[in-house]
Amino acid sequence: MTTTAIPTARERAEATTPKRRPQREREGAAWVFLSPWVLGASVLTLLPMAVSLYLSFTDYNLFDPPHWVGLRNYTQMFTEDPRYWRSVLTTVTYVVIAVPLQLALALVVALALKSMKRGKAFYRSAFYAPSLLGASMSIALVWRAVFNDGGTVDNLLGTGGWVNQPGWSLLAVALLTVWQFGAPMVIFLAGLQQIPAELYEAAAVDGAGRWRQFLSVTVPMLSPVLFFNLVLQTIQAFQVFTPAFAVSAGKGGPADSTLVYTMYLYDRGFVASHMGYASAMAWVLLLVIGVVTAVLFRTSRSWVFYASEGDR
Amino acid sequence: MPGHRTKGFCASAVALALCALAAGCGGSGESVGGGKAVLRYTWWGNPDRAERTEKTVALFEKQHPDISVQTSFSGYDAYKQKLAVQASGGDAPDVMQLDYRQIDQYASGGVLLDLAKQKTVLRTAGIDSGLLATGRVDGVQYAIPQGRGTETVVYDVKTWKDSGVPLPRAGWTWSQWASSVRELADKTGKPGATDPGQSEDAFEVWLRGRGKALYTRSGELGFTADDLARWWTFTDGLRREGAVSPAEQTTQLDGSVENTPLGRGKAVSDTNWDAPSSGYLAIVPTGIALAPMPSGSDGTPGQYFKPSMFLGVSAHTGHAKEAAQLVDFLLNDPGAAKILGVTRGIPVNETIRTDTAPLLKDFDKTVADYQASLEGKLKDPPQAPPSGDNALQTTFQRDYDQVSYERMTPREAAENYVTEAKAELRS
Repeated sequence: MTTTAIPTARERAEATTPKRRPQREREGAAWVFLSPWVLGASVLTLLPMAVSLYLSFTDYNLFDPPHWVGLRNYTQMFTEDPRYWRSVLTTVTYVVIAVPLQLALALVVALALKSMKRGKAFYRSAFYAPSLLGASMSIALVWRAVFNDGGTVDNLLGTGGWVNQPGWSLLAVALLTVWQFGAPMVIFLAGLQQIPAELYEAAAVDGAGRWRQFLSVTVPMLSPVLFFNLVLQTIQAFQVFTPAFAVSAGKGGPADSTLVYTMYLYDRGFVASHMGYASAMAWVLLLVIGVVTAVLFRTSRSWVFYASEGDR
Repeated sequence: MPGHRTKGFCASAVALALCALAAGCGGSGESVGGGKAVLRYTWWGNPDRAERTEKTVALFEKQHPDISVQTSFSGYDAYKQKLAVQASGGDAPDVMQLDYRQIDQYASGGVLLDLAKQKTVLRTAGIDSGLLATGRVDGVQYAIPQGRGTETVVYDVKTWKDSGVPLPRAGWTWSQWASSVRELADKTGKPGATDPGQSEDAFEVWLRGRGKALYTRSGELGFTADDLARWWTFTDGLRREGAVSPAEQTTQLDGSVENTPLGRGKAVSDTNWDAPSSGYLAIVPTGIALAPMPSGSDGTPGQYFKPSMFLGVSAHTGHAKEAAQLVDFLLNDPGAAKILGVTRGIPVNETIRTDTAPLLKDFDKTVADYQASLEGKLKDPPQAPPSGDNALQTTFQRDYDQVSYERMTPREAAENYVTEAKAELRS
């Protein structure tokens, strides 16, 4: 091909800039700007992770030097520790209760807010507030007081203190998480506002009622956001610690009913000083979360609709 | 030009690295506030102990204008966890209160300072040599006992007297104790005692009454699953009858008097250590009294005099001398002794013990009289528990939760515990 008389945009741009800087020099600048993050990530995340991977193959009590034991921590965890399996079961129960409840509540409130005419900004902030407060220890302590015997729930419902009943304590912890539905709600709300109004108009013209519109327009259009929230909240739920710790007064009780995975990990590491075992538990948790996320991504192909992919 | 850039990059990278280092080292440097040496001093205890400690510390600061002391305290369970995290991070407080269970672990872990190095300011001559030896690990004085304590049945005097049930007396046995709490529950309508099944300490007293011990001399488990199953069957039976506190109450125990059934007005008595029982005075308006722990069926006493707590100094302190001065003051100063009374047990300094004995009043006198009534009747204390015991205390409570919530039989839970304990002690 011969070049045409009129230069392309690119050629014009190259002609005006004096000379392209050597590749290396540009990389240097990039590194300078990246350095705060790189330093943080390597010193505060990657290095400790590498150390914890090493420690997971050792017997380490924090004070004496670590002592290599190969896979013993892992075999002990899977074959000799009934409390470990109880904590796994507790965590899975928690995830299965807390995540769907929280997402459902977030979606319902987001839908209600979307159709609100006045005071939307106020309610959006009001519902979001618990997400800001909920992570704090003080709220978790208040939560314990509310669900303790002689607390608000006991007085209103006469149920006794949930935090002292093994059948109910995990629900009290889960409710603290559900209450913080504001974060996924805001994301849902943003997603809802992205759905083009003409889709609803078209559906209405075709005679679809509200429920039909919800199922056939809202849900598919919102599915990427739903999927995003599901993955995010599931990952967080597997790592739940603060609510379980505070609501059970640091014990994971009664009768181990709130001894979630990270609580038991903390207990092994910092109470019993078995850092090697605790590190091994942390790595198993990382792998499990990885697998669960991968499974979610795989199933997503069948139910998540990306508008950009066009009509498939 | 490229050269400059590289230099700039290096310079900023170095600067950032230095910032990170500076931030990382900030904690371990000398802590100086207004030219004063600042010491951190932490302990566990009840509000009564806290108030007296604060007053004592204020007196110390007055006498040592160049030292300022930051204090903090919490309940035992919370304290134990917090100290473990601090110690493992090399950030242990300058002066810390320690339990018998913690010394072995922290001494061998390099957390504690060899106190003999500070003997110019820290005097130990007034302390009984046998008692002083309990703070030694491998011949090194890592900690100094601060008081002597023993376990007790602490009870709501008025409620017990009004019920008409005969008051506890010296030399009573566990089965007499059981019939008393049963009768109390009948007469008063509330459990006669806290369920002692969750307490490793109470179990130890029961076990010693049968001539056994928690640990053997070589630090192995000194009892079998049969022993533990028998103890838990005994306490669980009383719980089912309503003679001792229900699971919902028992599970809330965390080492503070406020969270005991007696402290909440939900039981007539409790088993606890003698000195900390002063905390009940503020919350049991009808008054409390102390009785000896029950003995074995043949009269063998299970309770013993134990160094109730120790003081240790962090090996990483920037102010070893000042920290030692504070320890010395808490142990040997007559002014401090007057304020502290027996809030940490009967004082270990012999001169101070004799001098303050006639001055003791109120509950301090109750504790002193109680210990005097047991003098010479108890068996020798066991040696310091092996380091795994620190974690096993929690395991013990957890496993008993499974029993009191009826998720496991006493036998199943006891076998679980023994398996866990053996693994813990092996590692």
